[in-house]
Amino acid sequence: MTGSVIVITSGKGGVGKTTTSANIGTALANLGNKVVLIDTDIGLRNLDLLLGLENRIVYTIVDVVEERCKLKQALVKDKKNPNLCLLAAAQTRDKSALDADQLKEICTQLKEEFDYVLVDCPAGIEQGFQNAVAGANEAIVVTTPEMSAIRDADRIIGLLESKEGVERYRLLVNRVRPKLIKSNDMMGVDDVVDILSCDLIGVIPEDMNIITSTNKGEPVVNDEKSIAGRAYINVAKRITGEEVPLLDIEETNNIIDKIKKFFSKKAQD
Amino acid sequence: MYDNEFFVVDMASCSSTGEVINSLSLALETLDGLGKKIILKLNDSYYNQSQMLSIQSLITSYGCTLDTIETTNEQTVKVAENMNILVQKPIEKRVEEKYGNETGENNFAYFSMTDSQNSDDIPLKESDELHFEADLDEIKRQQDNIDIKSDLQNLGIDAKADFSQIEAQTSVSYNSDDVSKTLDDYAKFNEMQRETSSYNQNLQYSDENSQSVDEQKIDEVENAQKKSIGVYKKAYDENLQNEQQWEEVDFYETETNEPIISDTKNTTYINQTLRSGQILEADGNVVIIGDCHPGSEIRAVGDITVWGILSGIAHAGYKGNNSAKVRALKMNAIQIRIGDCYSRRPDDTNIPYILKTSIFTPEEARVVDGEVMLFKINQN
Repeated sequence: MTGSVIVITSGKGGVGKTTTSANIGTALANLGNKVVLIDTDIGLRNLDLLLGLENRIVYTIVDVVEERCKLKQALVKDKKNPNLCLLAAAQTRDKSALDADQLKEICTQLKEEFDYVLVDCPAGIEQGFQNAVAGANEAIVVTTPEMSAIRDADRIIGLLESKEGVERYRLLVNRVRPKLIKSNDMMGVDDVVDILSCDLIGVIPEDMNIITSTNKGEPVVNDEKSIAGRAYINVAKRITGEEVPLLDIEETNNIIDKIKKFFSKKAQD
Repeated sequence: MYDNEFFVVDMASCSSTGEVINSLSLALETLDGLGKKIILKLNDSYYNQSQMLSIQSLITSYGCTLDTIETTNEQTVKVAENMNILVQKPIEKRVEEKYGNETGENNFAYFSMTDSQNSDDIPLKESDELHFEADLDEIKRQQDNIDIKSDLQNLGIDAKADFSQIEAQTSVSYNSDDVSKTLDDYAKFNEMQRETSSYNQNLQYSDENSQSVDEQKIDEVENAQKKSIGVYKKAYDENLQNEQQWEEVDFYETETNEPIISDTKNTTYINQTLRSGQILEADGNVVIIGDCHPGSEIRAVGDITVWGILSGIAHAGYKGNNSAKVRALKMNAIQIRIGDCYSRRPDDTNIPYILKTSIFTPEEARVVDGEVMLFKINQN
């Protein structure tokens, strides 16, 4: 069995790479796949926090590379889903602790046992990015509908195209606000896809639940009520090859507006 | 007295919750029960939490509180314990457990004692009278010994509830003013005595209970020994207010407290906050005047003492000294590693950052039987 190695990258920081990794990973595992998440953001690790596994980490990816432990020992199993594993980054080191060949080796080893290997890439295009992309055969480029994020995504796509291993890359537009798009204050998803001329894998609406779920250490896909959670589940389904239509954000938003109106009316009464 | 505060409501004849609620509401309506505590007698059928809650809310709606539940069903007992309701076994059951069906001489002696106040009123059978007179001195001594009031203060509410029942029954028999008490009364008093002694037995029973809990704890510790990464436990009860009681579990009195070898080593003093990503390694002991944020790591051959909030990873005795210790003003460490024992923060208290305004409870982590345990640091 050979799984696919998917790198989740963006170039710009703060667009939601780590949140996307945690949620797609959990969603894929919930769909019955064996998934391992690799955090390559050495020195600034956050993925463990989003999954609520911070207190279980004993060995990190640096320990594996420096042969202080075996690869299997360093995999931390998720609390809820045994299909999901995490290979955490070291907090007390920096990006130079790892090189591209070492990560490639780890990816090829993990590919044998897992259906999906998701690599959470650090921001920037330096050593950390080069490491993360090394083992990948697929990429998800995360961006937000802002000029700065789009420009960085463009740069990243250019770099990915020049990489040999990466066969396919798709775009994920994060933190979309349909209201702002309607009032022409934000770029539409179509415009973003048009500028970057790239396949779209999903659109994630802005969701308050993300903040609470991050603080709780519980991915938002486990919350059925969250729109972002449902959007992430759709993305995971598209990764597995299923054809799912894009989530109609505007309509769901209308429902929310209705609910909001309902409550504001109640408050006025 | 207590019979003014407690009401015993017998619902043992009711089989379903609906019946219980129905007859309970009838009973509460007829009684002027405002502000009283209810002792509810139930039969051995199972009541789940929602049923129990509805019963409780019914009682509170009449201005009373559900204090104690009497049942034999173990599941109901668990439910009641979850809801912080006291549980006691039915009197007959307790007597059976403790005494079997035997009623020894003590019974009679005790009966006479309770009755001695108005013994003049009671015509006794000749044989009994003889016995009564013969035992009178001993009875008086016993009377002195059993100072009920002081016993009540020493006992928990459980025993209080017990006693209130006895009180209620005695008051009934006194109020009857029936001068010619028959042998039936003997039987009644015998039963009363049994109850009272079972109430005395309650004391011992609770002692036995605590002992078995201790044994269970030791078993748990032994089972958890071989886990590579365990959850660090608190060795004391956080909610315990009584200082005298937690002195008993104080670590200075435990046998495993061996002299610390690492005390002889040199000590590193750090007077700053340790931030995420920073590692502090030391050959001897470490004393940090400041906080250790999550993501930081301390490795010391000896002990680690943090004069602040410890939220990172602390590894004391990391060259294999299992008698090393980790101390902190506020213990919130992601992991505590002592020697080769690793433990993680329990998931239910998985808070990354702790506010500096929180209440400090100085704690010390030590290895007890291969498991990291937290002990309150004695402030005496």
